[in-house]
Formats: sequence, C-alpha cells, structure tokens
Amino acid sequence: MYKAVVIGGSAGSFQVITKILSSLPKNFPLPVLLSLHRLKHVRSGFVEALSIKSTIPILEPYDKENIKPGKGYLAPANYHMYIELNKRIALSTEEPVNHSRPSIDLTFETATQAYRDKLIGIILSGANRDGAYGLKKLKQAGGLAIVQDPNECQVKTMTEASLKLTTVDHIFTTDQIINFLLKLK
Amino acid sequence: MTLSDQEVQFFVNTIKNTSGYDFSEYSEKSLKRRLQKILIDNNSDLLTLINKLKTNKEFLEKTVKDITVNTTELFRDPQIWQTLRYRILPKFSENRNINIWHAGCSTGQEVYSMMILLNELGLFEKAKIFASDLNTDALDAAKKGNYKYRFNIGYLDNFDKVIKENPFNYEEYNDIPYSKYFKIDKVTDSIQMNDFLRQKPIFRQHDLVKGGNLYFAKFDLILCRNVIIYFKYSLQNKVFKLFHEHLYTNGYLVLGMHETMLGEITSKFEKKGQAYRKK
Repeated sequence: MYKAVVIGGSAGSFQVITKILSSLPKNFPLPVLLSLHRLKHVRSGFVEALSIKSTIPILEPYDKENIKPGKGYLAPANYHMYIELNKRIALSTEEPVNHSRPSIDLTFETATQAYRDKLIGIILSGANRDGAYGLKKLKQAGGLAIVQDPNECQVKTMTEASLKLTTVDHIFTTDQIINFLLKLK
Repeated sequence: MTLSDQEVQFFVNTIKNTSGYDFSEYSEKSLKRRLQKILIDNNSDLLTLINKLKTNKEFLEKTVKDITVNTTELFRDPQIWQTLRYRILPKFSENRNINIWHAGCSTGQEVYSMMILLNELGLFEKAKIFASDLNTDALDAAKKGNYKYRFNIGYLDNFDKVIKENPFNYEEYNDIPYSKYFKIDKVTDSIQMNDFLRQKPIFRQHDLVKGGNLYFAKFDLILCRNVIIYFKYSLQNKVFKLFHEHLYTNGYLVLGMHETMLGEITSKFEKKGQAYRKK
C-alpha cells in the first residue's frame, strides 16, 4: 500500500544507508528518495560510493525527472530535492535551510505532499536537527515514521531531535529497518 | 505556515493582473516556498500582501525580486568550466566575433568566470558578452562585481581548478595570480572584480517568460544555469525553443549540472554532457 520511502541522514549515516541499499531486493517495489548531507567540499563520488554495494540503481536525478519504483534518487550536492505532486523531482539552489542543502526537512515535506499517507519516512544518524520537522509533517499526514535507534547511531542528535518532535511508529536498529523494508510489497 | 495551492494561485493571478510578470509556469514547490518566505520576512498574511501588491508598485517590484532565486558562484561546477575551456571555446577561436549570452545571470559570478576564461584563452577581445536577468538588484550587483570574501572562499578553489590546473595533464600548473582578475581584501571581506572585466558585459533586464531577444543578436554560446529548474516543463520548452532560435548552427547551450532537455526539442540538439550543440 505504500508508494515511496524517503530517508534522511547526516553524520554517521553512510554505513547504515549502504547496508540498507545492499540488502534491498533488486525488484524493490518502491522508489527510495535519499536526502543525505555530505561533507562541504565532497561534491562528487558520493553516488558512485553508494552505487558500489546497492542492489537497486542509485542516481542523482535531473530536474523534472520522473520517479520510478525500484530506484534510488539521491539529492545532488548543493541542491534541495523536492517532490512535485505529479511525482517528478524538482531541484532548487535556494539558500540552505538550517545550514543544510539538501535540506532533509524540505524533501520530507514535499514528499509528504506528493504521497500523503502512502509514504514511509526514515531518519538516520546525524549531528544536527534537520529532518525533525519534515518527519513531523509526514506523521501528521498519516505516513509511517521510523527513526534509527539513537543507541545505535554514531551521532544521536538528529534522531533525538526527531523523537522529541514526533511520536514515531518505530524506533529500529539498522537490521530491523532492513527487515521491515523487505516485507514491503 | 503552509500555503495551499489555491493561495499560491491567487498570488500568481494578482501579480499577473497588476503587472507584466507571469509566474504561472514557475515550478510549484519552489514558488510556494519563496512566497512563504516573503510572508515571513514581511511579517504579513497573504491577504495583506495581496492588497499591498495591488496598490504599491514599488512593493510589487520588490516582491518579484524576492521570488527569484539568486544563488550562484565563481566557476560553479569546475568540470563544466573545464569542458568550456578545453572542448567548447577553442572551437570558436577562428571566429571573427564570439557572441555569448548569460541568460539569468543573477549577480554575475559566471559572467566574470567566462571573461576570465576567455582572457586566458586569448579570446577576450573578440568576445561580446551579453548578460540578462529578471532581477534588477541582481544585475546591479553583477555590474559592481563585488562579492563577500569569507562566505565565498570556495571561489578560489574553483578558480585554481579551472585556471591554474589542467585536468588532462596533472603536471601542468599555471600560477596565475588572482590579482590579475580581482582584488581580495580580507579586512573589508571583499572580492572586487577588476575594471577591465566590469566594463565589458552588456547587462540588461530580461524576462525569459516573455521570450524575445533583447540583444537582436545571434549567439555562439548561451549559458543558462540553474534557471530553468524554477520553471515548469512547459515553460522550459518555450525557453529551449527561444535559445534554439537565437543560436548559430553549431552553437552551444550550457545548462546546470542537473538540468536536462526532455521531449521533442532534444532532436534539435546534440547532447555532450551538460552542453547541447545546435544541429
């Protein structure tokens, strides 16, 4: 019944996201929208690094690209990634939000407007508060909110900020997140 | 505060009916965000804003400026500038003139990047530089050619990659001093472009939505980077047609890193990375 998965991550999330992407079946039924912070001067190489182990294709989308199931869409360096109502990607170079571009909040908020209660949102390890507001919006719209177990996070700030703002559906370890995603149809 | 789509539509209609500006083919998500930001910055609700737009022309002009996004950098995405340097600009070296249009130039950093590159290639004198934007404040900033230093320290890295280094030959290193093109003053936190660069471009206000060619010229090269991401698909196509019409055959259109042409118009260009050659 779900139509998309949106994942936000920052410091300490790279290995988690790699493990998740390497565990998905090749024919994963949903698109995976990735809004991940990267080091300021690392602008290229990230999508390649994620692709090495991922079972589904990971791409840095073009503006207006159609979102398709079974693919991972990584917000390009220095762009915000929005989801339009017609399920296309929209990119923006607007100012960073909470010092972040891509802004996890903005990807989550616009994905929520596009997919409403058919969206799964996952917040991973990170050293700031980005994503907390977006996850709240997602939950308010009836989506399913998952936060990585802060005890497992390399940096807990981001997951704790999310948990403070929203009563989430699940607090999961990486393995539990993977098991959950594997059950999706 | 979250605006509904109807409220955004109401704003777009008001602007359209009271001025020559038309945002109806702007990408919805970023338009909504900009409008929300304007309401917060003005500490206003939508109805109050709409009434003020109808009665205060200056305020309307300011709001139109605030709607547009003006983020740009010197040599943003160095690999594109390396492509321009080694693959595209040399093709024009035998031309008598090289006409270049920066459409949506914002505060001008890429206009200066282009002129620096042309100068290094010995093509500066024969180039004519046209630069346009909707936002006249951005154009004024572009004419001044003065940028914050600390906030933009990445400019220097980009400059080194494009001007000093050669990605095709790592042993090559051209120690071109920054002062050849701009003056850095750390105390006043400023990067000031040199006068010989500032005096060259022909800056004009131009609205891509309205189309037309304000320069009455044809171009060898059009740069329009991170502009069309704010447009809907329909308007993107209109703009591509406009560019096609005003490019010479074998002229190039260069888009932003994550912008692309879709649909029928693609048959009229040959795509080479982020550069599109007019067939």
